[in-house]
Amino acid sequence: MSDAPEVDARRLAEEARDRVRFEEEALELADQVYRVARRFVSTREEAEDLMQETYARAFRSWRSFQPGTNMRAWLLRILTNLNIDRGRRVQRAPDTQPLEEGDYFLYNKLEEDGGSAEGRVDDRLSQDDAVAALSAVPHDFRDVIVLVDIGDFSYADAAQILEIPIGTVMSRLHRGRRILKHELADRAVGSAVS
Amino acid sequence: MSWDDCEKCEELLQPYLDRVLSDEERAEAERHLEGCSYCRKRYVFEEQIRQFVRQSVVEEMPPELKQKLAALRTPL
Repeated sequence: MSDAPEVDARRLAEEARDRVRFEEEALELADQVYRVARRFVSTREEAEDLMQETYARAFRSWRSFQPGTNMRAWLLRILTNLNIDRGRRVQRAPDTQPLEEGDYFLYNKLEEDGGSAEGRVDDRLSQDDAVAALSAVPHDFRDVIVLVDIGDFSYADAAQILEIPIGTVMSRLHRGRRILKHELADRAVGSAVS
Repeated sequence: MSWDDCEKCEELLQPYLDRVLSDEERAEAERHLEGCSYCRKRYVFEEQIRQFVRQSVVEEMPPELKQKLAALRTPL
Protein backbone atom coordinates (compact mmCIF):
# COMPACT_ATOMS: atom_id res chain seq x y z
CA MET A 1 0.00 0.00 0.00
CA SER A 2 2.65 2.48 0.99
CA ASP A 3 4.50 2.13 -2.34
CA ALA A 4 1.42 2.89 -4.50
CA PRO A 5 2.45 6.51 -5.20
CA GLU A 6 5.88 5.26 -6.29
CA VAL A 7 4.26 2.76 -8.65
CA ASP A 8 2.09 5.51 -10.10
CA ALA A 9 5.06 7.80 -10.49
CA ARG A 10 7.02 5.08 -12.26
CA ARG A 11 4.13 4.31 -14.56
CA LEU A 12 3.74 7.99 -15.44
CA ALA A 13 7.46 8.30 -16.11
CA GLU A 14 7.36 5.25 -18.38
CA GLU A 15 4.38 6.62 -20.24
CA ALA A 16 6.08 10.00 -20.69
CA ARG A 17 9.16 8.25 -22.03
CA ASP A 18 7.10 6.17 -24.49
CA ARG A 19 5.25 9.27 -25.66
CA VAL A 20 8.47 11.23 -26.25
CA ARG A 21 9.91 8.27 -28.15
CA PHE A 22 6.76 8.06 -30.27
CA GLU A 23 6.77 11.80 -31.03
CA GLU A 24 10.44 11.79 -31.99
CA GLU A 25 10.00 8.82 -34.30
CA ALA A 26 6.93 10.41 -35.91
CA LEU A 27 8.80 13.67 -36.53
CA GLU A 28 11.71 11.80 -38.10
CA LEU A 29 9.25 10.39 -40.64
CA ALA A 30 7.73 13.80 -41.46
CA ASP A 31 9.82 14.35 -44.61
CA GLN A 32 8.67 11.04 -46.08
CA VAL A 33 5.05 11.62 -45.08
CA TYR A 34 5.14 15.10 -46.65
CA ARG A 35 6.29 13.75 -50.03
CA VAL A 36 3.12 11.71 -50.23
CA ALA A 37 0.90 14.42 -48.72
CA ARG A 38 2.14 16.96 -51.24
CA ARG A 39 0.95 14.83 -54.18
CA PHE A 40 -2.33 13.85 -52.55
CA VAL A 41 -3.46 17.50 -52.75
CA SER A 42 -3.11 20.31 -55.26
CA THR A 43 -1.23 23.00 -53.39
CA ARG A 44 1.62 23.31 -50.92
CA GLU A 45 -0.68 25.16 -48.50
CA GLU A 46 -3.16 22.27 -48.47
CA ALA A 47 -0.32 19.81 -47.91
CA GLU A 48 0.99 21.85 -44.98
CA ASP A 49 -2.47 22.09 -43.38
CA LEU A 50 -2.97 18.37 -43.85
CA MET A 51 0.39 17.59 -42.28
CA GLN A 52 -0.37 19.74 -39.24
CA GLU A 53 -3.80 18.16 -38.78
CA THR A 54 -2.27 14.70 -39.16
CA TYR A 55 0.46 15.27 -36.62
CA ALA A 56 -1.91 16.94 -34.16
CA ARG A 57 -4.16 13.90 -34.33
CA ALA A 58 -1.26 11.45 -34.20
CA PHE A 59 0.19 13.11 -31.10
CA ARG A 60 -3.23 13.04 -29.43
CA SER A 61 -3.88 9.39 -30.21
CA TRP A 62 -0.35 8.03 -29.88
CA ARG A 63 -1.53 5.29 -27.51
CA SER A 64 -3.43 3.62 -30.36
CA PHE A 65 -0.19 3.06 -32.27
CA GLN A 66 1.18 -0.44 -31.75
CA PRO A 67 4.95 -0.28 -31.29
CA GLY A 68 6.77 -2.50 -33.75
CA THR A 69 4.28 -1.90 -36.55
CA ASN A 70 4.79 0.42 -39.52
CA MET A 71 4.49 3.96 -38.16
CA ARG A 72 4.82 5.57 -41.58
CA ALA A 73 1.80 3.60 -42.82
CA TRP A 74 -0.07 4.46 -39.60
CA LEU A 75 0.56 8.19 -40.13
CA LEU A 76 -0.47 7.96 -43.78
CA ARG A 77 -3.71 6.24 -42.82
CA ILE A 78 -4.56 9.16 -40.52
CA LEU A 79 -3.61 11.60 -43.27
CA THR A 80 -5.69 9.81 -45.89
CA ASN A 81 -8.76 9.75 -43.64
CA LEU A 82 -8.38 13.44 -42.81
CA ASN A 83 -7.98 14.26 -46.48
CA ILE A 84 -11.24 12.48 -47.28
CA ASP A 85 -13.06 13.83 -44.20
CA ARG A 86 -12.16 17.42 -44.95
CA GLY A 87 -13.53 17.11 -48.45
CA ARG A 88 -10.26 18.04 -50.11
CA ARG A 89 -10.41 14.86 -52.01
CA VAL A 90 -13.17 15.20 -54.55
CA GLN A 91 -15.11 11.96 -54.60
CA ARG A 92 -15.82 10.85 -58.11
CA ALA A 93 -16.97 7.76 -59.87
CA PRO A 94 -14.04 5.55 -60.81
CA ASP A 95 -12.92 6.01 -64.39
CA THR A 96 -14.07 2.88 -66.13
CA GLN A 97 -13.50 3.96 -69.70
CA PRO A 98 -11.43 1.40 -71.55
CA LEU A 99 -7.84 2.43 -72.15
CA GLU A 100 -6.59 0.53 -75.12
CA GLU A 101 -2.96 1.55 -74.96
CA GLY A 102 -0.59 -0.98 -73.52
CA ASP A 103 2.37 -0.49 -71.23
CA TYR A 104 4.67 0.33 -74.15
CA PHE A 105 2.41 3.21 -75.21
CA LEU A 106 4.64 6.16 -74.29
CA TYR A 107 7.76 4.58 -75.75
CA ASN A 108 5.97 3.79 -78.99
CA LYS A 109 4.53 7.32 -79.21
CA LEU A 110 7.96 8.89 -78.84
CA GLU A 111 9.34 6.53 -81.46
CA GLU A 112 6.51 7.36 -83.85
CA ASP A 113 7.06 11.05 -83.29
CA GLY A 114 10.45 10.76 -84.86
CA GLY A 115 13.58 8.79 -84.26
CA SER A 116 14.39 6.93 -81.11
CA ALA A 117 12.72 7.20 -77.70
CA GLU A 118 16.02 6.41 -76.03
CA GLY A 119 17.59 9.29 -74.17
CA ARG A 120 14.63 11.53 -74.92
CA VAL A 121 12.79 11.69 -71.64
CA ASP A 122 14.59 14.80 -70.39
CA ASP A 123 14.57 16.38 -73.85
CA ARG A 124 10.87 16.00 -74.33
CA LEU A 125 9.45 16.38 -70.85
CA SER A 126 10.08 18.96 -68.17
CA GLN A 127 9.66 18.61 -64.42
CA ASP A 128 6.46 20.69 -64.72
CA ASP A 129 5.14 18.26 -67.35
CA ALA A 130 5.59 15.38 -64.92
CA VAL A 131 3.84 17.26 -62.11
CA ALA A 132 0.95 18.26 -64.41
CA ALA A 133 0.63 14.75 -65.84
CA LEU A 134 0.44 13.20 -62.37
CA SER A 135 -2.11 15.82 -61.27
CA ALA A 136 -4.26 14.93 -64.26
CA VAL A 137 -4.59 11.30 -63.14
CA PRO A 138 -7.93 10.84 -61.30
CA HIS A 139 -7.58 10.65 -57.50
CA ASP A 140 -8.45 7.00 -57.07
CA PHE A 141 -5.60 6.01 -59.35
CA ARG A 142 -3.21 8.78 -58.38
CA ASP A 143 -3.36 7.97 -54.65
CA VAL A 144 -2.11 4.46 -55.36
CA ILE A 145 0.66 5.66 -57.69
CA VAL A 146 1.79 8.23 -55.11
CA LEU A 147 1.89 5.66 -52.30
CA VAL A 148 3.70 2.95 -54.28
CA ASP A 149 5.90 4.88 -56.72
CA ILE A 150 6.65 8.01 -54.68
CA GLY A 151 6.16 6.76 -51.12
CA ASP A 152 7.75 3.33 -51.69
CA PHE A 153 4.90 1.56 -49.92
CA SER A 154 4.21 -2.09 -50.70
CA TYR A 155 0.91 -3.08 -52.30
CA ALA A 156 -0.16 -4.44 -48.88
CA ASP A 157 0.65 -1.18 -47.08
CA ALA A 158 -1.16 0.86 -49.74
CA ALA A 159 -4.20 -1.40 -49.36
CA GLN A 160 -4.16 -0.87 -45.59
CA ILE A 161 -3.72 2.90 -45.86
CA LEU A 162 -6.50 3.34 -48.40
CA GLU A 163 -8.68 0.63 -46.82
CA ILE A 164 -9.20 -1.17 -50.12
CA PRO A 165 -8.42 -4.78 -51.13
CA ILE A 166 -4.92 -5.50 -52.42
CA GLY A 167 -6.38 -6.59 -55.77
CA THR A 168 -7.90 -3.11 -56.14
CA VAL A 169 -4.49 -1.56 -55.40
CA MET A 170 -2.97 -3.64 -58.18
CA SER A 171 -5.67 -2.87 -60.74
CA ARG A 172 -5.67 0.87 -59.94
CA LEU A 173 -1.90 0.96 -60.15
CA HIS A 174 -1.95 -0.78 -63.49
CA ARG A 175 -4.57 1.53 -64.93
CA GLY A 176 -3.22 4.64 -63.22
CA ARG A 177 0.23 4.17 -64.68
CA ARG A 178 -1.28 3.80 -68.14
CA ILE A 179 -3.27 7.02 -67.67
CA LEU A 180 -0.10 8.74 -66.45
CA LYS A 181 1.80 7.63 -69.54
CA HIS A 182 -1.00 8.85 -71.75
CA GLU A 183 -0.83 12.25 -70.00
CA LEU A 184 2.96 12.32 -70.43
CA ALA A 185 2.60 11.44 -74.11
CA ASP A 186 0.13 14.32 -74.55
CA ARG A 187 2.75 16.68 -73.19
CA ALA A 188 5.71 15.18 -75.05
CA VAL A 189 4.15 14.72 -78.46
CA GLY A 190 1.23 17.14 -78.35
CA SER A 191 -2.40 16.92 -77.44
CA ALA A 192 -3.19 15.15 -80.70
CA VAL A 193 -2.39 11.85 -78.98
CA SER A 194 -5.40 9.58 -78.91
CA MET B 1 10.71 -15.11 -80.73
CA SER B 2 7.01 -14.61 -81.38
CA TRP B 3 4.69 -11.64 -80.91
CA ASP B 4 2.87 -13.70 -78.28
CA ASP B 5 6.10 -13.78 -76.26
CA CYS B 6 6.38 -9.98 -76.54
CA GLU B 7 2.76 -9.58 -75.48
CA LYS B 8 3.38 -11.74 -72.44
CA CYS B 9 6.57 -9.80 -71.70
CA GLU B 10 4.64 -6.52 -71.84
CA GLU B 11 2.17 -7.91 -69.29
CA LEU B 12 5.05 -8.72 -66.98
CA LEU B 13 6.64 -5.25 -67.29
CA GLN B 14 4.99 -3.50 -64.33
CA PRO B 15 5.16 -6.40 -61.84
CA TYR B 16 8.75 -7.03 -62.96
CA LEU B 17 9.78 -3.47 -62.12
CA ASP B 18 7.77 -3.67 -58.88
CA ARG B 19 9.72 -6.85 -58.03
CA VAL B 20 6.58 -8.81 -57.27
CA LEU B 21 6.93 -11.59 -59.86
CA SER B 22 7.44 -15.16 -58.79
CA ASP B 23 10.92 -16.59 -59.43
CA GLU B 24 9.52 -18.52 -62.35
CA GLU B 25 7.87 -15.49 -63.97
CA ARG B 26 10.93 -13.32 -63.43
CA ALA B 27 13.12 -15.94 -65.09
CA GLU B 28 10.64 -16.11 -67.97
CA ALA B 29 10.75 -12.32 -68.45
CA GLU B 30 14.55 -12.22 -68.24
CA ARG B 31 14.93 -15.05 -70.73
CA HIS B 32 12.76 -13.15 -73.17
CA LEU B 33 14.50 -9.80 -72.55
CA GLU B 34 17.89 -11.35 -73.21
CA GLY B 35 16.90 -12.25 -76.74
CA CYS B 36 14.46 -9.46 -77.60
CA SER B 37 15.80 -5.94 -78.11
CA TYR B 38 12.25 -4.68 -78.83
CA CYS B 39 11.09 -5.45 -75.28
CA ARG B 40 14.46 -4.78 -73.65
CA LYS B 41 14.52 -1.17 -74.90
CA ARG B 42 11.02 -0.64 -73.62
CA TYR B 43 11.80 -2.07 -70.18
CA VAL B 44 14.83 0.21 -69.84
CA PHE B 45 12.73 3.17 -70.95
CA GLU B 46 9.96 2.34 -68.47
CA GLU B 47 12.44 2.26 -65.63
CA GLN B 48 13.80 5.64 -66.74
CA ILE B 49 10.37 7.21 -66.99
CA ARG B 50 9.43 6.02 -63.51
CA GLN B 51 12.65 7.50 -62.16
CA PHE B 52 12.06 10.73 -64.07
CA VAL B 53 8.51 11.15 -62.72
CA ARG B 54 9.62 10.34 -59.21
CA GLN B 55 12.46 12.86 -59.26
CA SER B 56 10.25 15.49 -60.87
CA VAL B 57 7.32 15.31 -58.47
CA VAL B 58 9.10 14.90 -55.16
CA GLU B 59 9.01 18.16 -53.25
CA GLU B 60 10.94 18.45 -50.02
CA MET B 61 9.20 19.58 -46.86
CA PRO B 62 9.70 23.27 -46.01
CA PRO B 63 11.92 23.51 -42.89
CA GLU B 64 9.45 25.82 -41.15
CA LEU B 65 6.75 23.15 -41.40
CA LYS B 66 8.91 20.75 -39.44
CA GLN B 67 9.16 23.38 -36.71
CA LYS B 68 5.38 23.79 -36.72
CA LEU B 69 4.94 20.01 -36.39
CA ALA B 70 7.43 19.85 -33.53
CA ALA B 71 5.46 22.62 -31.78
CA LEU B 72 2.41 20.31 -31.76
CA ARG B 73 4.16 17.90 -29.39
CA THR B 74 2.76 17.49 -25.89
CA PRO B 75 4.67 19.80 -23.53
CA LEU B 76 6.82 17.94 -21.02
